[in-house]
Amino acid sequence: MTVVTLSELSELGDGEALPTDQKGWLRSALRSRKVQIGLVILGIFVFAAVAGPSLVGNPSTTSVIGLSGPSSAHLLGTTNEGQDVFAQLVYSARVSLIVGALAAVISMTMSVVVGISGAFLGGLWDDVLSMLTNVFLVLPALPLVIVIASYFKDAGTLLIALVISLTAWAWSARVIRAQTLSLRSRDFVQSARAAGEPVRRIVFFEILPNEIPLIAAQFLGTMIFAVLTQAGLAFLGIGSANTWSWGTMMYWAENAGALQLSAWWWFVPPGLCLALLGAGLALLNFGIDEFGHNRPVKRRHRRASNRALRTRPDDLPRQLGDTVLDVKNLSVVYDTGSEALRAVNDVSLGLGVGTTVGIAGESGSGKSTLAHAIATLTRPPAEIVSGSVEYFPVSSDGKPAKAVDVVRLEGEELRRFRWEEIAVVFQSALNALNPVLSIRAQLTDTIRAHRPGVSRREAGAWAGRLLDEVGVTRDRLDAFPHQLSGGMRQRVMIAMALALQPQILIMDEPTTALDVVTQRQILKRIAELQTELHFAMVFITHDLSLLLEIADVIAVMYAGELVEVGRTQAIYKVPAHPYTAGLLASSPPLRGPRRTLTGIPGLPPDLHRSIAGCPFASRCSRRMDRCDVERPTLVRLRSEDPRYGEQSVACWLHTDAAPDIPPVAFAPSPQEGPAAGAEGERGT
Amino acid sequence: MRFILRRLAFYVATAWIAITINFIIPRLMPGNPVIELFNRLRITATPGAIKAFDIAFGVSTREGLTGQYWSYLGQLAHGNLGISITYYPTTVGSVIGQALPWTVALLGVATVLSFLIGTLLGMFSATRRGSVFADSLVPVTSLLSAIPYFWLGLVVLTFFAVDLGWFPLNGGSNPGVPIGLSWAFISTAVVHGFLPAVTIIVSSVAGWILSMRNMMLATLSEDYVLLAEAKGLHRRRIIMMYAARNAILPNIASFALALGFIVGGAVLTEIVFSYPGIGYVLFQGVTNEDYPLVQGVFLIITIMVLSANFIADAVYVLLDPRTRSQR
Repeated sequence: MTVVTLSELSELGDGEALPTDQKGWLRSALRSRKVQIGLVILGIFVFAAVAGPSLVGNPSTTSVIGLSGPSSAHLLGTTNEGQDVFAQLVYSARVSLIVGALAAVISMTMSVVVGISGAFLGGLWDDVLSMLTNVFLVLPALPLVIVIASYFKDAGTLLIALVISLTAWAWSARVIRAQTLSLRSRDFVQSARAAGEPVRRIVFFEILPNEIPLIAAQFLGTMIFAVLTQAGLAFLGIGSANTWSWGTMMYWAENAGALQLSAWWWFVPPGLCLALLGAGLALLNFGIDEFGHNRPVKRRHRRASNRALRTRPDDLPRQLGDTVLDVKNLSVVYDTGSEALRAVNDVSLGLGVGTTVGIAGESGSGKSTLAHAIATLTRPPAEIVSGSVEYFPVSSDGKPAKAVDVVRLEGEELRRFRWEEIAVVFQSALNALNPVLSIRAQLTDTIRAHRPGVSRREAGAWAGRLLDEVGVTRDRLDAFPHQLSGGMRQRVMIAMALALQPQILIMDEPTTALDVVTQRQILKRIAELQTELHFAMVFITHDLSLLLEIADVIAVMYAGELVEVGRTQAIYKVPAHPYTAGLLASSPPLRGPRRTLTGIPGLPPDLHRSIAGCPFASRCSRRMDRCDVERPTLVRLRSEDPRYGEQSVACWLHTDAAPDIPPVAFAPSPQEGPAAGAEGERGT
Repeated sequence: MRFILRRLAFYVATAWIAITINFIIPRLMPGNPVIELFNRLRITATPGAIKAFDIAFGVSTREGLTGQYWSYLGQLAHGNLGISITYYPTTVGSVIGQALPWTVALLGVATVLSFLIGTLLGMFSATRRGSVFADSLVPVTSLLSAIPYFWLGLVVLTFFAVDLGWFPLNGGSNPGVPIGLSWAFISTAVVHGFLPAVTIIVSSVAGWILSMRNMMLATLSEDYVLLAEAKGLHRRRIIMMYAARNAILPNIASFALALGFIVGGAVLTEIVFSYPGIGYVLFQGVTNEDYPLVQGVFLIITIMVLSANFIADAVYVLLDPRTRSQR
C-alpha cells in the first residue's frame, strides 16, 4: 500500500483534475513505457489465473519423488510431498488476483461512498465519517485483519477479501474526499449547483468522471495492499489451507523446513511472483499518476545548449555609465517535450540607474517570464533560447565597468551575483517566504551568504535595521511568516530585497494581492526608498494605471512581445497601440476624474500556434487587412510628441513609423545616447 | 499545545474504538467462546477456570451486554488481558510483557533507520535527477516495496544463516547468555537482531524514498525555493533548510499510515526469524487458536502504534511553527 499512498500525497495539494480530456489521459498513459510493462506483467498473471490451471498438472498430487530441485519433469522442482511447485505457482495466481481485485472493488466502493458523501453532505455527517476514516487510518491493518480472520480459520476467498477491504478503505476515502472538496468548489460544479441540478446528477456526471484517474490509481494501490495482505494471512495459516495461493505455498515451505534444507525453489518463486505482480500494478499506477494529472514531463535543464543557440555580439565595454541593464533580443521558450511555447519573443529593453521601467500586460503576456529571465531565475521547462541580459556593474574607480551577461553566469559566480546586484520581490510573499523559518533566519541567511565575515549577531542587527526601513517593528524578527499580515509580509519581502543594496529591484506584481490602502502605503515607501538608495526598478503589473504613477518608462507586453514602449507621459497622453489604449480604458485611474471603464473583448492568442500577422489583430477594433498577414515590428514613432518624449510601437496604424531609426527608444544603443538615462541624474 | 492535546484526544478515542472492536469480535461468533474453547482444549471446565476466561473475554452469562462491556473495560484498566491458552496458566499480560521489549527494540531501531535512510535517499534522488544512481532508485524501490517482508526474510535467512552461516538461525539472543545489560548479552542480541532489522529496513525503506522524493520535487518548485535561489544562498542551505525542511513535514505526518503497515510486516518478519517478539507470540496465538492472546497482542500493537504516532506528532510540532500558534 505504501507505494500508492505515498505517491498520492502530492496530489492532495494540487488535486485539480480538469473537466476535460477524459480519454486523453488514458491514451497518453497507454503510450507510456511504464504502463506498457505493467500491462504485460498483469496480462501474464491474468492468463496464468484464467487458463493456467488447465495447462499444468494437479498441484495437490503427491508423488514418491519427495523434495527435489528443478528438473525437466518439474520445472521448479517439487515439494517434500513430491508436488509440482510450478503447478502450485500457476494455480496460486488465481486466488491472489481474485482476492486482490475483489478486496479492491469492495474497498473502493466504500471509499467512494464515504469520500464523496462526506465532502458533499458536510456537517455532522462529514465530521463522523472523517473521524472514522482517521481512526481506521491509524489502526494497524494487518494485526486487525489477523484478529478478525483468526476466528475464521477456514475462511473462503470472499470472506478474506471482505475482511481485508474493511481495513483498506480509509486512505482512499480520505484522498477522494479531498479531491471531491476541491472539485466541488470549482466553477463547473458551482454552476451546475446554481442551475439546480440534483445532487445525484452532479455526482455522477460532474464529479465521478473527473475522479476516474484518481480512483483508478487508488484501486491499483488497494489491490497491491490486498494481494500482500492475503499472502501474509496465508503465510500465517489463516484462510483455507487447501486453496493454493503464494502465501499458502510459503506456509507449507516454512512448516516443512524448506529453509533449513535450502530448498529455495520452493519458497523463492512465490515471493518473486508477489513482487512482480506488485511491481506491475505499481508501474500502472505510476503511469496513471503521471498522465492522469496532466503533469508536464519535466526535462533536465541544459545550459550548454543555450550558448550554442545564442547569437550575441562580443563583450565590448560600454561607454554608457548610466545604463545599468540592457536586455537584447531576449527569447524564452517553454519546452514541455511535445510542444514549445514562446513566452517571450525577441524583447529588447534598457534600464537606467535609479529609474523605473514598468512592464504592463494581461496574465499570460509573458511579463513574469521576462522578469524571471532578468533575475536569472529561468528554470525548466522555461529556457532562454536567444538574446542577452547585460548588466553594468558600478566600478569602484568611477570608470565604466565591463558588462556582465547575466544569462551566461554559472555556478559560484551566479550565486554571488544574485541578490547582490539584482533582487526580486515576488507577487505572493506568503508563498515566497519559507513557512518554517523565522523572519530573522530568512533575512540573516541572505546577508551571511554574501557577507561571510558578518557574525550571526551583526546579521541580526542588520536585519533589524532593514525592518525599520520598511516600517515593521523589530519584535517581528522572530515571527514566522504565517503570523504576519499580508501587508507586513510584503514589507518583509522588500526589506529582504534591500538587504544587500542591489542596483536593480525586480518587482513582480508586489502589491497585487494587497488591499488598496496597504498597496498605497507600500508603493509610497518603495518610492521613498528609491529616492534614498537609487536602485533601478523593473515593475511588473497588469495594472497600467499604477504604472502611470510610479514608472518613468512603460513597456506594454502582449503575447510575449513588446507592442509599445514609451515615456510614461507619452503612453498616458498619446497611446499609439490600440492595445495600450484598451488597457488604459479598462483600468481605473488612481487619481483624477472618474471615467467609464471598458474591457478589451476576446482573449490573448494561443502561443503554441504561430501567428502570421499581428497577434492582437483578432481583438483589435482598428484591424486592417495587412494586420492578418504581416507582423508589425517595434519601431520608433517618427511623429512622437516632443512634449511627452520618446515612443516606439509595433502597429501598422503608424505607417509613419520609421524602420531606419532603431526601434527601442530606451535601449542604450550608440545612436540614441542616454535615453532612459535622462532620469539617471537622480541615481548618480 | 492545543494541537498536541487534540491529537492526544484523538488517539485516546482511537484506542477506545480498538478496545471496543476487540470486545465485539468474539461476540459475533456463534455460541459462547469460553465453552467452545474448553471443548476444543479438552480442559475440565472448573468454575475457577471459567471465571478466568470470563474475565479474558468479558463474556458472562450472568450480566447483560452493557454490564459485560463495563466489566471488560474495568479489567483492562487493571491491565488484565486474560489468560493465555497456549501458555496456560500464564496471563496474556505477562506473555506479552516478556515479548514486548524485543519488538520495541527491533522495530524502533529498524523504523528509525529506515526513515532516515529513506529520507536521505529520497532527497538525493530528487536533487540529483539525471545521474544514473538517482534515476534508478525509483524503479528499484517500486519493485522493493512490492516484496513481502516475510519472503525477504526467508531469502535472507537461507542465504546468510543457512548457507553462509554468518548469522544465527533463530531466536533473539544466545540462550546461554543471561538477559541483562551486559556486553555479552547486547552483542549476541545485536547479532541475532541484525538480519530481521535489515529485512524490515530493506522492505520499508522504499516507501520513504518514494514519498520523500515526491515531496522534494514538489517543494523544489515552490516559490520559497525560487526565492532562496534568487537570494544567492549556498546550494546546501537551499536543499536542506528550504526544500528538505518543508518536504519532510508531510513525510512525518504520513508516518502513521506507514507505521501501521511496517508493524504488520514486522510481525510476519519476526515469525520467519523465530524472534521472541510479539509477532511470534501472535503467530503462536493464531496457530493454537489462543484468542485471548491474539486479542491482547492486537491491543498492545495498536497502543504501540498510537504512541509512536503521538511521538511523531510531537516532532511535527517541533518542526512546523504553524502548528504551534494555532489558537
